[in-house]
Amino acid sequence: MADEDNQKPFGESAIFPWLESVAQLWLNMVKTVPPHSSTLLKAQNAVQERFSQQLDTNLNMLKSFSKMMKPPEEKSAAVNTAGALPEIFLKIAKSGFDVAMEIQRHLWEKAGKIGQRTEAYNFENLDQEIFKAFSDVYQNELQQYFKIPPLGLTRFYQERINELLDKHNIFETTLAEFLSILYLPMEKSFKVFQEKLKEMAEKGEIPAATKENYALWLKILEGHYMNLFKSADYTEALHRMLNHLEDFLIVRNEVIQDFLTMMPVVTHKDIEDLYKEFHLLKKRVKALEKRLGISPNALDQR
Amino acid sequence: MDSPKIPLDLILEKLAEDAEKAKERVSKASEVLQGRLDTRLATTPYEVVYEEDRVKLKHYFRNENAENKLKVPLLVVYALINRETMLDLQPDRSVVKTFLEGGVDLYMIDWGYPKRKDRFLTINDHVNGYMNNIVDFIRERHSIPKINLMGICMGGTFCVMYSALHPQKIKNLITTVTPSSFDTDKGLLHVWMRDIDVDRLIRTFGNIPGDLMNFGFLLLNPARLMIDKYVGFLENMDNKDFVENFVRMEKWIFDSPDVPGETFRQFVEDCYQKNLLIQSKMNLGGRRVDLKNLTMPLLNFYGAYDHLVPPEACNQLTKAVGSKDVEDICFETGHIGIYVSSKIQKQFAPKIVEWLKQRDEGDIPAAKRKAANPLPKRKSPVRSAKNIAGGKQKTIRKTKNGGKIEGR
Repeated sequence: MADEDNQKPFGESAIFPWLESVAQLWLNMVKTVPPHSSTLLKAQNAVQERFSQQLDTNLNMLKSFSKMMKPPEEKSAAVNTAGALPEIFLKIAKSGFDVAMEIQRHLWEKAGKIGQRTEAYNFENLDQEIFKAFSDVYQNELQQYFKIPPLGLTRFYQERINELLDKHNIFETTLAEFLSILYLPMEKSFKVFQEKLKEMAEKGEIPAATKENYALWLKILEGHYMNLFKSADYTEALHRMLNHLEDFLIVRNEVIQDFLTMMPVVTHKDIEDLYKEFHLLKKRVKALEKRLGISPNALDQR
Repeated sequence: MDSPKIPLDLILEKLAEDAEKAKERVSKASEVLQGRLDTRLATTPYEVVYEEDRVKLKHYFRNENAENKLKVPLLVVYALINRETMLDLQPDRSVVKTFLEGGVDLYMIDWGYPKRKDRFLTINDHVNGYMNNIVDFIRERHSIPKINLMGICMGGTFCVMYSALHPQKIKNLITTVTPSSFDTDKGLLHVWMRDIDVDRLIRTFGNIPGDLMNFGFLLLNPARLMIDKYVGFLENMDNKDFVENFVRMEKWIFDSPDVPGETFRQFVEDCYQKNLLIQSKMNLGGRRVDLKNLTMPLLNFYGAYDHLVPPEACNQLTKAVGSKDVEDICFETGHIGIYVSSKIQKQFAPKIVEWLKQRDEGDIPAAKRKAANPLPKRKSPVRSAKNIAGGKQKTIRKTKNGGKIEGR
């Protein structure tokens, strides 16, 4: 029995007598307070009375719960449930750990390919697997948490915040991908420059002046950038990054808008609507002025 | 692993030598950078003679007693991207100054800085609104029926649209680095703009932020614009004149107003994506922009190495217009070089002054026009294209029937 108690976090022998005695103690405490003492009668208001009654009810509920738990079969059922809790937590943690390991494995696998990316001056079919891996992992393992439908009164705001976090994460990934593509010509230019120097050294034509070396490298770099910018992969990455930046900014503005509407300030949307009305009114006024021969030159009107 | 056989000792020796020079340069540079620097832009005096919303019209002072004065004033329309101060960047490299010395009565539009309230302004508001009001103002001020019009980049595209819609008000048209045909893969901007989702961009930003556009321009050639340019600065930072000019240029480049959202949308959709202008299919304020209405003399400049507006985007205009007096001039330079390169400066602005003088027969004030004799028609109209490189001019003349005469 002692062994069993040690194995179970909520030992049957300890928890239920304790629960019962606690319930009994609080019930007695409540009962010691005179319910309608003359001194209190004057001071107590209806709220206090409600509190006292509520406490009484709650303690009775606790007492009946502890009584209900007296039969051994109920006790063990409750204990089993309580005992299962750490197991559930462990399972959740394990599944999270597995996901993290999977992510890491996926990323390492892709990262291993970084050095073997495309050839010099060639930017077609860029191997941006690592970003695709990030994005896959995010979409398959993490994005779903932001898509869980929020409930309750503030569900609308929670949804907006979740969307903001989601869009921010996606934008960060595409930005990292774009910056990495932008860095590719640098990486390649150094490699080509080194080869070129080696070639020149073999011919005994190595430029002695630093400036000449710099000019040579710059030319190589410029050539790489020109090829990169003409590639379809770059244009796609640029548009993808811009689209996700826009998605993020739109949601960010909506969240700010939500907060602003709670404050006594004019929101951006209010101003925008006003600007539109103002613009249309101005056009009408200008057309009228033209018809009446009034100069649009503001200097004449001063 | 194969290690490159590079004489590292030689390179390191050279690096040490360079480091010594760099040390000297840095010590001189600190004196220059901490000293008094004149980095002011646009110092040529002018007065603001017209103002409407954020838009101002500058009128420059010329020597009214000079003998070489042109009778018809010139209105310069800059793009909505960056500022017109580029034409008056520094005293020895100022298109404005050359124009004034050449006797041009010069007006220039300052588009100002669009705010969020301007996001609904369309190309029509700029062309048929502000520009038309300004042209009318100048015509009225000088009592003349027509003025000369010169446009720069996007401002040139506006001028083409304006001249096609109001040909009766324009005497001569000059377009410089002006995109008119957008269906080309030569410029990266054209490639990138083709698939851009302009609706989302405007929904996100309202007006298109100047900084965002500048970042895009830097990305067109990062090796030169983000690395080499500043390496050049480090190499010359002990030279006061160089530093002053460099800072002026930096001030100009990064002084980028936002572009009104609706104007940007129409420019991208109608021009970059549908290429409507060159096909005379564009509509402004319910009117078709027919390039055949461009019957006035047209002088069209562009840069052979322009990475923003490639020659292919500029050189179709003269073929599409109705005018028989047209000339293409291609300089061996880039987008900005036409206005700021000291070599091109000696050719660009003087050529415009000369061209205008040849066509400045004098427009008679509207009231006197009826009584005057009609101007003689130009004999044997020619279409010509010049490629100016290093002072040599290669001229390609096209006769009316399409035959070519090549010469120097």
